[in-house]
Amino acid sequence: MSRAPTGSEGDVMDSLVEIRDVYKVYKRDSFDVPVLNGVSVTVPKGDFLALMGPSGSGKTTLLNLIAGIDKPTRGQVIVDGKEISALNETRLATWRATHVGFIFQMYNLIPVLNAFDNVELPLLLTHLKKKERREHVESALNIVGLGDRIHHFPRQLSGGQEQRVAIARAIVTDPTILVADEPTGDLDAKSAHEILDLLHQLNADYLKTIIMVTHDPKAADRANHVLHLDKGVLVESAQEEARH
Amino acid sequence: MRFSKLVLRNLFRNKLRTLLTLVLMGAIFFFVSTMLSILANFEAASNSGEGQNRLGVQSAISLANPLPLSHEAKIQKIPGIVDTAKLQWMGAYYKEQKNFFANFAVDHEKMQTVWDDYSTPKEQLEAFKADRTGAIVGPELMKRYGWKIGDKVTLIGTIFPFNPEVTIRGEYKHKFDSSSFFIHFDYFYEATKEVTRGTVGTFWVRVRDPKDMAKISQEIDEMFKNSEYPTETFTEKEFQQQFMAMIGNIKLLFTVVSICSIFMVVLLAALTMSMAARERVTEIAVLKAIGFTRGMILTLMLIEFVMLGLIGGALGTFAAKLVFLVFNMTELTQGFLVNFGVNTETVLTCLATAAIVGLLAGGLPALRSARLSVVDGLRKVW
Repeated sequence: MSRAPTGSEGDVMDSLVEIRDVYKVYKRDSFDVPVLNGVSVTVPKGDFLALMGPSGSGKTTLLNLIAGIDKPTRGQVIVDGKEISALNETRLATWRATHVGFIFQMYNLIPVLNAFDNVELPLLLTHLKKKERREHVESALNIVGLGDRIHHFPRQLSGGQEQRVAIARAIVTDPTILVADEPTGDLDAKSAHEILDLLHQLNADYLKTIIMVTHDPKAADRANHVLHLDKGVLVESAQEEARH
Repeated sequence: MRFSKLVLRNLFRNKLRTLLTLVLMGAIFFFVSTMLSILANFEAASNSGEGQNRLGVQSAISLANPLPLSHEAKIQKIPGIVDTAKLQWMGAYYKEQKNFFANFAVDHEKMQTVWDDYSTPKEQLEAFKADRTGAIVGPELMKRYGWKIGDKVTLIGTIFPFNPEVTIRGEYKHKFDSSSFFIHFDYFYEATKEVTRGTVGTFWVRVRDPKDMAKISQEIDEMFKNSEYPTETFTEKEFQQQFMAMIGNIKLLFTVVSICSIFMVVLLAALTMSMAARERVTEIAVLKAIGFTRGMILTLMLIEFVMLGLIGGALGTFAAKLVFLVFNMTELTQGFLVNFGVNTETVLTCLATAAIVGLLAGGLPALRSARLSVVDGLRKVW
């Protein structure tokens, strides 16, 4: 089953992500567990896509493949014209450093580093000088509204603030794509709303392509498009049809 | 280094665990550096005769069997010999048995020719020679018992029924030996002749040309081969090593204990480092997700673990160095350890060992972390 989400204006945009007939089978002891069964998706540049589905439907696996932290058993994953499913582990790591920004449900900041140092981490892999790195970090923290919290450690921040720092870390290298798995799953309603506002702002104002896995229909509502997965295949979505 | 902050913060992230690990490693490296220093001290003592063109002649049966005094005149006839001297180990102590030190009866006239590496001020040496009951003593003994030149000292014999009553006439200086006590052989012999009956423990032979040492050594032993008192002749280094061997195979024991201690610290450090790596599984997965390669993770973790080993090793080794600088080990061990301290070679050996401990102990946890699949690591949090 193939889907090609379109832009909010209904026009077909340049494709950024192409998933072509992807299968993913996990080995569990001596059993093969199929997770994705021939999924094909095209995500245009600048899109804000939500992936929904019940637990075990394969949405996180699909996100992992797009983010380049997992490889398909069969099929192709092409991001920004590069077939990342054919890259070896070292090349994939280098590719991720410049092309992908990760936003996790549990924020996953390094607890021994303050906000500044956490956001600076991806920049340590670049050739930027210290002064340039500082400028980038401050800029990212200002975008997420935490310019005044740069010396705070994760334990000194609220959940919403931690997630903002995590978003700053995700955008600091100006990646091609942002991937988020349940970014509001561990937050209260107010903080979740703020984080969704921020993601919407990154998409609308900074033209960031965002792919978000969520269980929350309210969160999915903030996306431009929603795809539903069930048992490893894309399914028709009444919500999406209603959007169209 | 760009990642120094990350490494240092991770190193001290669990302060109590890091502190306990450092204390443990410090304690073991204190012990190991002490053991190695004792071995180095023994080695220095064993080698103290190196470079001396002096031969020691003892009974071929054992050092405890004496040789007839008449051997000396025969030895002196061998070409290439400058001089010979008698030296008798007395095995006496001062006041109480715990006050034990090396004490010898020596041919006082031959001190300068046969033992020219011992230096004594001329007037003191002359006073020693002139006084039949005179003695010359090492500086460490003088300090230990608060003796001064002119003091009268009585030693209590254990091997021979003779309690020498002597006057200290001089204080010698020597590169390694600082705690020996020498009296006149004549005085000793006169008092013990009914027991010793024309014998002495060893002869010492000064050879003119060091190249002739082996030849002369062979000639001496050949000369007495078929006599009632066969000899065995050693270079001074061999003699010292044989003497050191008499205190048992302590070198082997110390080496084995040191290796066991290091093995123990490797296991304990491996346990700590495995815990440190295990609790960071998701963080490592996050680092890999944002672009850190397998090699970078491995390098960063190994640097952290080697640093932990090095800090622990340095703490213990430098603590030992400081302790042995502050405390006079020669005095504490009653002359058993002379000029004792942790030398630079031992410090470097301990630091290198500590770094290797870090590598060995942290190698497996670091490798496992580096090999961690990002998906598996993130599964807990995605």
